[in-house]
Amino acid sequence: MTKQQKELLSERTNEHVYHCAKCGLCLDACPVYKELLVESASPRGKVQLAKHIIEGDLEISKKMEDILFSQCLLCGSCVIACPSGVKQNELFSGLRWRTAQRHGMPLAKKLFFQVLSRRWLMSTSSWFGKWVRKIFSGPAIESRIEVGNLPVSAIPPLNDKPFNAAYPEIVMPEDEIRARILYFHGCATNYVFADVGKAVVSVLTNMGVQVEIPRGQSCCGLPIFLSGDRKTAIRCITEALGLFARDDVDAVIVDCATCGSALRHEYAHILRELKDLGEDVSEDMIEKAQLLQSKVRDVSEYVAAHMDWLAAMPSRDGARKIRVAYHDPCHLMKGQGVTMQPRTILKSIPSVEYVEMEKAGTCCGGGGEFQIEFGDTSALITNRKIGYIHDANAQILATGCPGCNITIRAHLDKNKNMQVLHTIQVLQKSIDGTLDNFIDSGITAD
Amino acid sequence: MVEEKIAKELRAIAGGDGYLDSREDLLNYSYDSSVDEAMPDAVVLPNSTEQISKIMKIADREKIPVIARGAGTNLSGGSIAVKGGIVIALTRMNAIKEFSKENRYAIVEAGLVNLDFQNYAMKQGLFFPPDPSSWAVATIGGNIAENAGGPRGVKYGVTRDWILGLKAVLADGTVIQTGGVTFKNVTGVDLTSLFCGSEGLLGIVTEATLKLLPLPPFKQSLQVFYPKIDDASKTVARIIGSGIVPVALELMDRVVINVVEDAKKIGLPKDVAAMLLVMVDGIESECRNQVRLIEQICKEEGASRVAIAENETQEEALWLGRRSALGCMSQLRPNCLLEDVTVPVSNLPVMIKGIYEIATKYNLTIGVMAHAGDGNTHPMIVTDKRDKEEWERAEKAIGDIFKLAVDLGGTLSGEHGVGISKKPFMNLIYGEAEFRVLKDLKKVLDPNGILNPGKIM
Ligand SMILES: Cc1cc2nc3c(=O)[nH]c(=O)nc-3n(C[C@H](O)[C@H](O)[C@H](O)COP(=O)(O)OP(=O)(O)OC[C@H]3O[C@@H](n4cnc5c(N)ncnc54)[C@H](O)[C@@H]3O)c2cc1C
Ligand code: SF4
Ligand code: SF4
Repeated sequence: MTKQQKELLSERTNEHVYHCAKCGLCLDACPVYKELLVESASPRGKVQLAKHIIEGDLEISKKMEDILFSQCLLCGSCVIACPSGVKQNELFSGLRWRTAQRHGMPLAKKLFFQVLSRRWLMSTSSWFGKWVRKIFSGPAIESRIEVGNLPVSAIPPLNDKPFNAAYPEIVMPEDEIRARILYFHGCATNYVFADVGKAVVSVLTNMGVQVEIPRGQSCCGLPIFLSGDRKTAIRCITEALGLFARDDVDAVIVDCATCGSALRHEYAHILRELKDLGEDVSEDMIEKAQLLQSKVRDVSEYVAAHMDWLAAMPSRDGARKIRVAYHDPCHLMKGQGVTMQPRTILKSIPSVEYVEMEKAGTCCGGGGEFQIEFGDTSALITNRKIGYIHDANAQILATGCPGCNITIRAHLDKNKNMQVLHTIQVLQKSIDGTLDNFIDSGITAD
Repeated sequence: MVEEKIAKELRAIAGGDGYLDSREDLLNYSYDSSVDEAMPDAVVLPNSTEQISKIMKIADREKIPVIARGAGTNLSGGSIAVKGGIVIALTRMNAIKEFSKENRYAIVEAGLVNLDFQNYAMKQGLFFPPDPSSWAVATIGGNIAENAGGPRGVKYGVTRDWILGLKAVLADGTVIQTGGVTFKNVTGVDLTSLFCGSEGLLGIVTEATLKLLPLPPFKQSLQVFYPKIDDASKTVARIIGSGIVPVALELMDRVVINVVEDAKKIGLPKDVAAMLLVMVDGIESECRNQVRLIEQICKEEGASRVAIAENETQEEALWLGRRSALGCMSQLRPNCLLEDVTVPVSNLPVMIKGIYEIATKYNLTIGVMAHAGDGNTHPMIVTDKRDKEEWERAEKAIGDIFKLAVDLGGTLSGEHGVGISKKPFMNLIYGEAEFRVLKDLKKVLDPNGILNPGKIM
């Protein structure tokens, strides 16, 4: 092994390639392989290529760039499918980073957020443009946009004003305080799904939880470092650690599956890897990331663990129930192991008839910018998923990820009148008694 | 490297994205689930029998080796290109062409994944009995070419028993159709069986007619733990001897149990010597009787704990560890050498004891898993190929294990086939006459020797 290759990724990450038994069990789990049916799309194939790159007998070629970006959603399905404990995501995201360093980031120009931003820029104020520039630190925002598998018209409009501008920094419950949490609302809630944020604050305070919404929070950085730009991502991580790595709270609550998996797993891993590779990362930062990691809970996880804090919801003997199905976001199910909790919440709601859809745990095909960049592959995966969703014949599809929400709602058959909501919105509307109205009026959830 | 002139021809047949020859793609078709790797010169992903026929004509003319590949999950180096050449990957030929519920057969393309077919058939109340543990990925064509069998082989046999007919392309591009759709068919010599277990040496299977069974109305499994492995083996012999025909009868030893538990945290006790998994299926009342009988035998033979699944979720839970055992073993160390020697059931205890002695002799960690109901034993040696000295000891241990199996009246491979891994030991089984028959057969069907050269013989 040459010195240069040794430094491509850390020793710990490299070791994964030697634990791959080539058993192929990850092929069945990979949404991209299942559509393209070619070995390079498979997790096993990419681990093989990673091995040769690490051992120094394969270049990080343009072809390799294509494989890493266009044949992988970084959905993590392979990680949980692999009985040998290979962490493919760490290998692939590490290689994406090195690839972006080598070939530049032409792909970043077309990033998901930039597509969104175009629509928003046309319609709203300048604060969003500033925000996007801060995140992507690139000039190409106004450039021509390819939308791939995502119709621009289906992209939800922007909040009138950012979610957090509507709330004080600390929101107190009416009665006794049972717990104190920090709320990481992420970009999606702040700029698109303000209703999700309102639902989170409403449900938590209803449970007697004091909600603190730190000012100045921004992107968790995950979409950025998954695109290979670890430098910009480090900025996001440093900011987030400064605001959220706090010992004096009971939990850090996240409503976005992607942000949650970033805070929970990626921060500590990336920081340690960068430190091992000699980058300027302090042990103190890693400790902070570990502290944060121990505090992070998905909102559904937190609520399900404290169901007894919820006020009883009115029972509805004989009344019509609303059929609700649930889609497992990759970053919640595979990234954080949260599967039962959202179902527990939905099943506990008297006015809801919970239906388990077939293949609830398969990827929706969105994958952030993947659906924009590689629309054809994305469409194959999404269409299969939409079929399963409609088969469930539900009125509401609950989920816990804004990315899945956008992808799925954009492809639903409009005639079927199905709504997509965050799990916590279903709960909040049930507590408020507005779920029936919501269904009857057929309004969308924006 | 395939000459550009030939590459052009192949590209014209398979289309732009059906012909691959970048270094990345070749690396991705250089492996299967065995430890060996070999680079092909090109990979073709055809969509039809006609395309394969055309490809074979070119390969035969140019005398280029052709290796059929399904999902590449075989454990014997069967689908790697040891002499270079063209890999024909059948993964995109995955259509279900005909499904007859009333006549209980289906015609499918060879690249269809076993489990994808099972899921389809199940919705119609039918199933295809062969169930190799790799079924979520392995293809029907690969199952046929390896004559795969799975846990439920004790009752339902192996792939060969469920194939009514085949469409295959011979080395010169000729397309033949064997068998038919009827369950009874003795018109002519049984050419179908010839291709079962032929490891891609005689032709490329492109379609198969599968015989199906109605789903049994009920099934039930037991999970049984033993402080002594001998008692588990004795239980196996007694159950088989009692006249009960279980669907599956699997054994896992202490090493494997511990590894699976560490990886999966599913609540297996780590201080036992062996675990048996027994499944019966059929009419509910009959199953429950059999389960009671089996439970009694287990207890009489010294079982320390018996768990019986009472619903589908519990069934899944009991079998989860078994299905992921091989992968979990490879978590211990970078490499896991899996063999599949098979002995008469009554010799299972001697075989297992012998494996432990070999492990001690060569100072290796060997876990044992077995489709105990048919004597098919999986010793799994965990090692690291990068450690040359240990690797040599592992190879010697495998030689000893093979000899032991043959001494006990058994055979080298119950299901994984010969490929290149067991080729050096074939003379333990085949004599000169047997080799000659195989060679003659090859000469007739594949005179230029282009089909999967370097394997078996
Ligand atoms: C985790 C794991 C568990 C396993 N469990 C079992 C088990 O329980 N029982 C069992 O029997 N096996 C088992 N196997 C071995 C393997 O999965 C089977 O042999 C399977 O049938 C191979 O199918 P495949 O599609 O992967 O074929 P491949 O590995 O691609 O090919 C296998 C052989 O068949 C030939 N071939 C493939 N397709 C065709 C075709 N269409 N026409 C002609 N020749 C062809 C190839 O040239 C090669 O020689 C297991 C393997 C793994 C990794
Ligand atoms: S499941 Fe794991 S060990 Fe098996 S091929 Fe995939 S990465 Fe390798
Ligand atoms: S992360 Fe998802 S898309 Fe990428 S290889 Fe793994 S399973 Fe496939």
